[in-house]
Amino acid sequence: MSSSRGDFSIAFRSALLQRGVKQKFSLFFLICLSILIFFLDSYPSKAMDVTRALLNDGIYRVSNLATSPFKFFASLKNKTKNHLFIYKENIFLKNEIKKLQEKDLNTSFLIIENKKLKEVLKTEMFESSERVVAKVLIDKESPFLKSVILNKGSKSNIAKGMPVLSENYLVGRVVEVNYISSRVLLLKDLNSRIPVSIQPDGAQAILSGDGTKKPSLEYLPDSYQAYENSLVFTSGKDGIFYPGIAVGKTILEKEQVKVKLFSDPDQISFVSVILINEKKQF
Amino acid sequence: MAIIYKSFKLQFTRIFPLLLLYFLSVSEIDTEFSNYFEILSFNLQLIIVYYWMLKYPWLLGNGHIFFAGIINDVVTGLPLGASALSYLVASFVASYIRNVTVNKSFFTEWFTFLLAIFFSNLFFYSLIGKFSDFELFYINIFYNALFTFLLFPIFWVIFNIYVQLIGSIQND
Repeated sequence: MSSSRGDFSIAFRSALLQRGVKQKFSLFFLICLSILIFFLDSYPSKAMDVTRALLNDGIYRVSNLATSPFKFFASLKNKTKNHLFIYKENIFLKNEIKKLQEKDLNTSFLIIENKKLKEVLKTEMFESSERVVAKVLIDKESPFLKSVILNKGSKSNIAKGMPVLSENYLVGRVVEVNYISSRVLLLKDLNSRIPVSIQPDGAQAILSGDGTKKPSLEYLPDSYQAYENSLVFTSGKDGIFYPGIAVGKTILEKEQVKVKLFSDPDQISFVSVILINEKKQF
Repeated sequence: MAIIYKSFKLQFTRIFPLLLLYFLSVSEIDTEFSNYFEILSFNLQLIIVYYWMLKYPWLLGNGHIFFAGIINDVVTGLPLGASALSYLVASFVASYIRNVTVNKSFFTEWFTFLLAIFFSNLFFYSLIGKFSDFELFYINIFYNALFTFLLFPIFWVIFNIYVQLIGSIQND
């Protein structure tokens, strides 16, 4: 009995403390170092923030470089595919033009309606706001964080909390800022919570990420009757986001009100970050 | 020239597992396939660390495992040190199993990998859950661990073939 316990402790100590061939550090030392770094990083301090920002900037660039051959082949594949289907696309586009010409008659009515809705939502502020266009460097999926890395940071006046749009549709908000890069938390992330307003009745709710492509609406009014295809905009109730940024359309799934986002989070390559003046309140 | 080429080829094949570990950590190539099959995701880094530390520890090295973990934390946006700790715990289990087992077989390696997954996830999620603001979906964690365990035999076979390749280059 005692000898087996002795064997156990010898094997345990050997695994933890012994440095094998070409091993410069013992496992025990490295485990302690990891724990120390974790706690230093978990509790905010100026020195650690600067170190982390420098590390982030460097590694994001290396990561972008490491995956550039894969990105190149993916774009080459898409280009070849597009080229092969150009004849088919031409016929499709001709049909589309016909349809659009028919729809043109309705446009003047929609312009007036749109203007009225914008007045309700006070979107002029949002449309005239200053923006920074940024490229998505990395969009690595992780089981914990649905986020993308942008190639602009505090050098371009980006700050934490700023809304990020893709083709004028909300995709998320900035959660980490380094000098020349930043991280955007996507709307589908579990930690994402955005106050929204549902049109046309103006009901208020919280758009809550659940890890899927369709975030759900929470804290809806008790007597709220949900319909499909209602438009969802930011409400600006948090005082951070501009009101009236288009988010998506409602869909009903398993007795839950979900939102089909206008922007596909897996397909974004360029985004614009709205530079918000912290003193401004909406 | 032939000797230099042979030596380069041998060196490259030897450091390939390490390069793969670094590449998986630094690149956006990931093993999360939720877009194709909602629950499919696995931790290939953990499989690499466990297999190579169990069988050929001199090809990886704990220092490199630590750095790969730190890089992975930066890229995935986790608190620094969390992945490093998780990989090092898997490496520790592999070293311990290597010390205590005499007769190694595929099944002992596969089932002891369960221990590595358990302890590495235990440390990882305890730290993330207790000391960070990340919200965790335990069902996703379970699926990730399950697929990591289930896919181990496939990578075990691939890595074994790779080891034979290193051997054949060495004997040439």
